[in-house]
Amino acid sequence: MPNNTTVMPGMEAAAPDNRLGGRARLVGRIWSLSLLALLSFLVIYPVGMLLLGAATSRNPVVDGVSWDDVSSSHFITVLTNPNVLLALSNSLIACSGGTALAVAIGLFFAWIVVRTNTPCKALIAGAGMLPLFVPPLVAGVAWSLLGSPKTGLLNTLFAAMGLSWRIDLYSMTGIISVFGMYYAPYVYMFTASALRNMDPSLEEAAEISGASALRTMFTVTFPLILPAIISSALLSFIVMLGIYGIPAVLGSSANISVLTTYIFALTVWTPPLYNTAAAVAVILMVVTGFLVWLQGKVISGRSFTTVAGKAFRPRALNLGPWRFLTLGLAILYLFVVVVLPTITLCIAAFRKFLFIRNLPALFDTKQYSLGHFEKLFANTATIDSIINTMEVGIITALVGGLLSFAIGYTITRSRAPGRKMIDLIVTIPVAIPGLVIGVAYLWAWIGTPFGLYGTLWILALAFVARFLPDTVKALSTSLLQIHKELEEAAWISGRGMLSTITSIVLPLARPGVVAAMTLLFVLAIRELGSSLFLYTSGTIVMAVQLLNFYEGGNTGLTAAFSLVQMVLLGVLISFTTWLSRGGSSASVGRSG
Amino acid sequence: MSAELRIEGLDKAFIPGARPAVKDVSFTVGAGEIVVLLGPSGCGKTTTLRCVAGLEHPTAGVIRIGETIVSAPKQGILVPPRSRNIGMVFQSYAVWPHMTVRQNVAYPLKTRKLSGAEADRKVAGALELVGLEDYAHRSVTTLSGGQMQRVALARAVVYEPQLLLLDEPLSNLDAMLRLRLRDDLRKIVKAAGLTALYVTHDQTEAVVLGDRIGVMRDGNMLQMATPQEIYNRPADLFVAGFTGASNVLDGTLSSRDGAYGLVRTNSGDVLRTWIAPTLTVGAAVKLALRPENLRLDAPEGAENRFLATVRQRRYLGTETAYDLAVFGGDIEVREFGTEVRHAVGQAVAISIPQDACWAYAAAAS
Repeated sequence: MPNNTTVMPGMEAAAPDNRLGGRARLVGRIWSLSLLALLSFLVIYPVGMLLLGAATSRNPVVDGVSWDDVSSSHFITVLTNPNVLLALSNSLIACSGGTALAVAIGLFFAWIVVRTNTPCKALIAGAGMLPLFVPPLVAGVAWSLLGSPKTGLLNTLFAAMGLSWRIDLYSMTGIISVFGMYYAPYVYMFTASALRNMDPSLEEAAEISGASALRTMFTVTFPLILPAIISSALLSFIVMLGIYGIPAVLGSSANISVLTTYIFALTVWTPPLYNTAAAVAVILMVVTGFLVWLQGKVISGRSFTTVAGKAFRPRALNLGPWRFLTLGLAILYLFVVVVLPTITLCIAAFRKFLFIRNLPALFDTKQYSLGHFEKLFANTATIDSIINTMEVGIITALVGGLLSFAIGYTITRSRAPGRKMIDLIVTIPVAIPGLVIGVAYLWAWIGTPFGLYGTLWILALAFVARFLPDTVKALSTSLLQIHKELEEAAWISGRGMLSTITSIVLPLARPGVVAAMTLLFVLAIRELGSSLFLYTSGTIVMAVQLLNFYEGGNTGLTAAFSLVQMVLLGVLISFTTWLSRGGSSASVGRSG
Repeated sequence: MSAELRIEGLDKAFIPGARPAVKDVSFTVGAGEIVVLLGPSGCGKTTTLRCVAGLEHPTAGVIRIGETIVSAPKQGILVPPRSRNIGMVFQSYAVWPHMTVRQNVAYPLKTRKLSGAEADRKVAGALELVGLEDYAHRSVTTLSGGQMQRVALARAVVYEPQLLLLDEPLSNLDAMLRLRLRDDLRKIVKAAGLTALYVTHDQTEAVVLGDRIGVMRDGNMLQMATPQEIYNRPADLFVAGFTGASNVLDGTLSSRDGAYGLVRTNSGDVLRTWIAPTLTVGAAVKLALRPENLRLDAPEGAENRFLATVRQRRYLGTETAYDLAVFGGDIEVREFGTEVRHAVGQAVAISIPQDACWAYAAAAS
């Protein structure tokens, strides 16, 4: 990693000593150039290589990379391939359905928590965020155990109860349901805060005007929070589009391929179709980019900021006895999304054989043992994957944290030239799903002699690039909270730029920096999409190892490892939340 | 159309058992009258207004609008806001940003199933009343604060409600605009012939707008009277102080005849003053004096004439404030005019008219 802390950021106009103006300008220019070079290395070069890969038909491993063969015809061939179009349309159907369900659930919960007197609202609000922390692959595994058409626990349960209902989650409906349930918290977060920030007099004025509660809701409340609804719907759509774990588990046996699973399938083909994978990845990136652009437009275009600056008194609708129905629905949601999958994973992990003949067999303690866990930890690949994951997490946290601080400081505080450009490049990865980053890094390093491919560093650098927008934004926010005059006072006291940063800015921004690093660590250890393409047998990580267990068909091991990862993540996320006082939940989710 | 508002024994406690926000408040607003509720923040004035609107649910008491009881918890009566046929203007304007000016004003008519030419005529009338006829198709987000509040007013009067409620409608506007809209507001409400209940913490607003003013404190109605009476005969020491009688002297009531009597201050001076009705001879009293009501350079023989020394002088442009050493302490006197007439250290004779000097029981507040 280049030495980004030892170079002094230039701030010619703000420099305390004018005679140094010329030198400071030079230092500023060098600083900006080195940051730009670093960002090119992390973001621009891999994306460029991905585009190049999509436009050639040469295998980067066998033939090496060259410009000879570049033609749009390769890309057009892929674009008109019926399998690609099928994956694209499956992706759009799954994400549209999932988004519709997520909006319905999320909006309903926002209304319950902000606008009604449903009991235990604080608990619902807190527990309602839990689904965001469940890695998609773990959710997929749990629901495949629950809802597979033949051996699913729910179907066994229905049969035991003499009911004729059967569910089949190995289907488009299954993917849509699991998407909708697990990404509803995004919609909840956005719309709940929009409802909370809305001046209640706007609704009171409608009531005074003679409108009924229902009419007020549809003519005033919903139109006013519509920007929040649309933008959260777009966000959940974007996240679902980049998810690999859920469609991989639920879609494979029904032969439903979406863009993400199709891209991965192409790279494990014999021989691997890297060019087609790159082209499909570009399609996924373009769709995502368009949606990100659309979301930005919605947010900036129609925001109805309220006039009054005072804190609003919350207006709780008295639901009367109906409040127990809303509480019941909230509990049902949490049961279905959190409790039921966890119980299922526990049963599968601790039971010797998952086959359950009838209900009494479920409670037969003789059937339970720690066997799967013993087998899990006896497997050296498991231990290796845990160690690798921790190493990657630490590298990502340190490199990403330092780089984000340097970039955040340059963007918010310095007058270094080119900082607008830096800001722009940093936001690019927002529009790139993790899986696409993986393909891009594969293209960028597989054919080069650097030897980066096959190391843990390529994983860490891909994660740094992927989460750069989140961490830079978080750090910029915490830097903006430090008043400029605190720095100026240090300059006046005779301190230099670097000494001011280390003695004033860094100590004051420390909670933000620590929180950003811990967040990066958590995001890195649960990331699957980009790891899929970048691991080799020596650098396998937990998320990939879990997928291998699943695909190997060993349900007990898969469930046991899922539980291990959930406990590990639970501990880490509690720690992060404690460090950053709850501000990180949104970003943990974006990684999908 | 406009109706009388009658409130009897209104109580409101937000948390059962805790200190109530409004305690046993009773008053009447006659048809076509403007009553202003005045008081510091937290005095219960806004809660009273919101109880009338139906946005808060009273704990006890009866609220009648016209012949209809809209709220009587003891009898289980609670008419929802939408059925009370009232108009309301909010402090935060509460104009709907996703609608145009016209859509905002037409909204209450739509909920009343009124449309077509009749609705158009009413909307046009309301917009003309507030002077926004040229803005009908503008989005409300392009308007200034003052214009938004005019939209809110048009929306509140367009359906000719029985009663208009105004909750600090001017407090979010800047000072110049506040003065202009304040004067316009009274004209508009009077032109529409509406019964109005207006809440504010600003005394001048209350004086300019109200036919009568009700001063509230800690959930109690202290005095409801015309502006002149509030300023010239405040019911208690709090009302006197809140409306600007900043000089307070301690003393004892030595004799009384009818509404007036003699008070001996702790410094030994004797003043003839108006005496609060409940006071008896020998009681400890507090005297309240408005700085504007003291006369300087009083001739020999003027009522309540005393000699004082100018201790400090603050020139305020259109008036001058003096701190005078008299009655064993400092009292503030204000003299209008741009001319400064007394120097620091100079002796000056002051006179206090007996009607401008009020004695209240010392124990109360």
